[in-house]
Amino acid sequence: MRVPLGWLKEYVDVDVTPAELREKLDMSGTKVEAVHEPAGPIEGIVVAEVLEVTPHPNADTLSLVQVTVGSGEVERVVCGAKNFAVGDRVAFARVGSRLPEMTITERKIRGEVSKGMLCSASELGISKDHSGLLVLPADAELGRDVVQVLALDDIVFELEVTPNRPDCMSIVGIAREVGALLDKELHVPKAGLTTVDIECPATVDVLDVKGCPRYLLRYIENVSVGPSPAWMAARLLAAGVRPISNVVDATNYVMIETGQPLHAFDADLVAEQAIVVRRAKEGERLKTLDGVERDLDPSDLLIADPVKPLGFAGIMGGEDSEVRPETSRLLLESATFDKVSVAFSSRRHGLRTEASARFERGSNPDAVPYAAARAARFICETAGAQTARREPDVYPHPPQRARVTLRPRRTSRLLGIDVPMDDQATRLRSIGLKVKERTERLEVEIPLFRPDLTREVDLIEEVARLLRFDRLPNTLPSGPAGGLDASAIAERTLRRILSGLGLHEIWTSSFMGREDLEKLALSEDHPAWQAVELENPMLDTETALRTTLMPALLKACAHNVAHRETDVALFEIARVYEPSDEKLPREALVLGAVFGGMRKPGDWQEPPEPWDFFGAKGVIEAAFESLGTRRPSAQPVGGMPFHPTRAAALTIGSSIAGAFGEVHPDVCARYDVPEGTLVCEISLGPVFAAVQEKVQLRELPRFPANYIDLALVVDAGVPAARVEELIWKAGAPEVTQVRIFDLYEGEQIPAGKKSLAYALELRVPDRTLTDEEAATVRDRIVLVLRERAGAELRT
Amino acid sequence: MTTASELRERFEKERAAALQRVNEATDIASLEEGRTRVLGRKSPISQARSGLKDLNDAERKDLGQLANSVSADIEEAIASKRAVFEERETKLRWERERVDVTLPGRHYEVGSIHPLTRTLWSLIDIFVGLGYSVAEGPEAELSTLNFDALNTPFEHPSRSPSDTFYVKGTDEEVCLRTQTSPVQIRVMQSKPPPIYVVAPGRTYRRDAQDATHTSQFFQMEGLAVDKGITMADLKGTLQRFARATFGEDLDVRLRPHFFPFTEPSAEMDVECFTCRGAGCRICKGEGWIEVLGCGMVDPFVLEWCGIDPETYTGFAFGMGVERIAALSHGVSDIRGFYENDLRLLRQFGGMA
Repeated sequence: MRVPLGWLKEYVDVDVTPAELREKLDMSGTKVEAVHEPAGPIEGIVVAEVLEVTPHPNADTLSLVQVTVGSGEVERVVCGAKNFAVGDRVAFARVGSRLPEMTITERKIRGEVSKGMLCSASELGISKDHSGLLVLPADAELGRDVVQVLALDDIVFELEVTPNRPDCMSIVGIAREVGALLDKELHVPKAGLTTVDIECPATVDVLDVKGCPRYLLRYIENVSVGPSPAWMAARLLAAGVRPISNVVDATNYVMIETGQPLHAFDADLVAEQAIVVRRAKEGERLKTLDGVERDLDPSDLLIADPVKPLGFAGIMGGEDSEVRPETSRLLLESATFDKVSVAFSSRRHGLRTEASARFERGSNPDAVPYAAARAARFICETAGAQTARREPDVYPHPPQRARVTLRPRRTSRLLGIDVPMDDQATRLRSIGLKVKERTERLEVEIPLFRPDLTREVDLIEEVARLLRFDRLPNTLPSGPAGGLDASAIAERTLRRILSGLGLHEIWTSSFMGREDLEKLALSEDHPAWQAVELENPMLDTETALRTTLMPALLKACAHNVAHRETDVALFEIARVYEPSDEKLPREALVLGAVFGGMRKPGDWQEPPEPWDFFGAKGVIEAAFESLGTRRPSAQPVGGMPFHPTRAAALTIGSSIAGAFGEVHPDVCARYDVPEGTLVCEISLGPVFAAVQEKVQLRELPRFPANYIDLALVVDAGVPAARVEELIWKAGAPEVTQVRIFDLYEGEQIPAGKKSLAYALELRVPDRTLTDEEAATVRDRIVLVLRERAGAELRT
Repeated sequence: MTTASELRERFEKERAAALQRVNEATDIASLEEGRTRVLGRKSPISQARSGLKDLNDAERKDLGQLANSVSADIEEAIASKRAVFEERETKLRWERERVDVTLPGRHYEVGSIHPLTRTLWSLIDIFVGLGYSVAEGPEAELSTLNFDALNTPFEHPSRSPSDTFYVKGTDEEVCLRTQTSPVQIRVMQSKPPPIYVVAPGRTYRRDAQDATHTSQFFQMEGLAVDKGITMADLKGTLQRFARATFGEDLDVRLRPHFFPFTEPSAEMDVECFTCRGAGCRICKGEGWIEVLGCGMVDPFVLEWCGIDPETYTGFAFGMGVERIAALSHGVSDIRGFYENDLRLLRQFGGMA
């Protein structure tokens, strides 16, 4: 909402500086988004009349325009705009004049001399409209300074009006607020209409009273359509509305002044002079003023005549009944429409207008006759017209004024500051409410221009904002002890340990598309295909909630590789989503990581070392260890997106927690990451569930341990984990540590075999084991390994 | 037979000879070898000592003392010589072991925690310190909880499919939460007051992407419901938060605003930390930076959750985490947070 201060001052005395006013408005809840100061240096721009327009000999898009500023002298300029005609008054920037962005000089444009420039609204700093020249009102005096004609020296406040405040969508409403803030009286001008004794031929039939609680028509005849007076055009421009004609401008002017949207129909284009307010019929169409032919929905509320739709109620009129230059009789509509209906139609048709922005916030039936009369007065004054005394006014159910009780003590209790009852009453009266003081309570009558005030708490807010929030003290409630729960702590620990292990945390999109999974080449029955689909995705590539982090991880890897950051170790802890039998999908926290390039880049001491299966596995194991949970066990797993023989499923206890391994070379190629890139994905639910909240200390051993080495030869296909498991089982209870320190395959041992070497720690709690006892344990283990895994001691 | 005076002379001579020998030693080995020569069983001094037994008592006592002092002198000379050699050896060892300390250490890649995570943590920690716990809720949320419970009626434009993501096949009953506020509702429905929680999490809106908007973003919501909670409490709490986050000496203001689920409602501005209120590019000349929305929980919302607004009052606030991270780290385009470019991420490796 743009409010020119000069216009505002017509209704309220402003005796503070613009900066002070801005601060007060900000702190009252109507934020000043911007203050448009007089548009920089604008000097020497004057009103000129177009005398002749001829094509530019060397450029199709340009014209040569002869203008005069009235003194008889004629200047010629080159102009690119087309929206004007001979006889129009325009803003002429002569050679030597100044605009905010430039000083005008004589120039040659495509070989033709241009002695100055004709200005658009944007060049004058009035609006962003640079679609054509700013055509000035016909009564703008030739040679006069455009700054004065258009009141360009006025300061304009651009306000952010919150959606609960229809009243603030008007200069009068803002003036009421300003009056309350400055303790000044509000002066609302009289409508000042003189009616004549002519017959109003129109009838109004409202078929949907809920959609249209009040509909009033004013009949005006003998209209001569033309430009509006300079003062009105200037104010409209300052308020951000382009002047069109005296009729349309009068309706817009009054809408901005009062907040009540108005619409003028050409009465001769309304069949049978009968206005019907009804919902649209199936298949009906309407060409709106913006030239768009629209298919109507049966829930659209229409203004119609007996044969055709005339306009969208509360949004925009139709082209078929538009005011034309030859229009002489008008039906001026002033009405209220249901805000829900307007909001839906406006959204459905993507049509937001000054009118719809006001009706969506709510409307004030009390303003209907006043606004109609005031606009009719301006039309009568500027278009030489007369208006009929009778005005059809369909208003079957005038609403009761709401009465709300306010307990002043409740105000003080909610705000945390003592506000005396009479102070509260004064503040509420200052914004136009009727307040009666009773014992311990205020009885407040709410005028119709404040439909947002329906409850006690709404009045408390009014008191609070007028009091100013900065008057409230700063206190703290006495809450209980706060804290993070175990899984939040585990999550933080995990992020910290992973970053400590050299990984960088990332955040990626929660969405995925089919293509992401297709590129992973997942089998048809892979659970990742079971995704929660979006009804209204924004992108074809993001149609569902993701079931796996892998695509995003691989994309993040590819992004970095493409930027020559080839050593990549990234992780993300985020949710995945899957459909469930409940109303809401299941959401599960997972850890994903991607590794590629070098784990160690190599330096003056050590050779480079690439990320490989065991590098990645080490990270995962360290992460689990940092959480104090058991290490997960790994089993070979086949299937996409993994390398067929370099991937593992991870299990904790008996449940599968995730998988990791090298990415299949085909998948690497599709994601543009180097072969050998590894990914991991682990569900954190079971992991966090296994986190020990409190560590129970085990007593430290009091006797030294015994250490033995065990070098075994087994079939190459026997998993190391199987051998280790057997060592633990056979070595119990003396074996307390098992560490593999060598793996050998080659000439020293038979083909198809491998050698595994283990270092074992043996101890018992109450004494030191003798070497003989240790040898017994060792023999026991070897025996079991021989029987169960075909292992032989390596000699 | 050796006389006492001869013996004395011998001791004195051997002392001189031994001391000279000690002095001539070149290293610890030759010193040790010399020790055997001058003090060993077959040494001249030992041999001279054997002459003592032929003397009378007085002479023997006298020369015995001399013999002892000769041995002691030699031992002392060896010890001090040895100390010199040892010091020299040690020095040589240090030289042998010298490293060029200016060479870089072995490489350990230092990872990083994402700036948004860091921001979230610091926000959470401020409120944990003020006595709050952390609550979470689903991202795919019931529209009832995301909108209706928060006093956002079905005709509200934010509910339209052009603004809110809906889950397919749910007839718009399940949306992707557009705010973390539904977590408030879940908390209030699940336990009676006193309630002091913050709810951080991901939220979704169908906004076109630009430097300050993404369709997925983080919010953190705060909620306090208790007997006697006032707007002054809200103001004091947020002042603490703002100063801890942006700077202890900054001005903070609550400016009235409108939200459907709070009444009174406000936006909180913090004095621009770049220009200190004078007006600059960062604050668009306003001198203030809008940081969050807040207010007293609307009685409608309390009642919806089965909490009596006459007995309990509460406040709530919600903030955009990207915005706060951007303000804190001088990031002008929040899309950078989601590009996951190592060149950006590495810059956040060193922060505590």
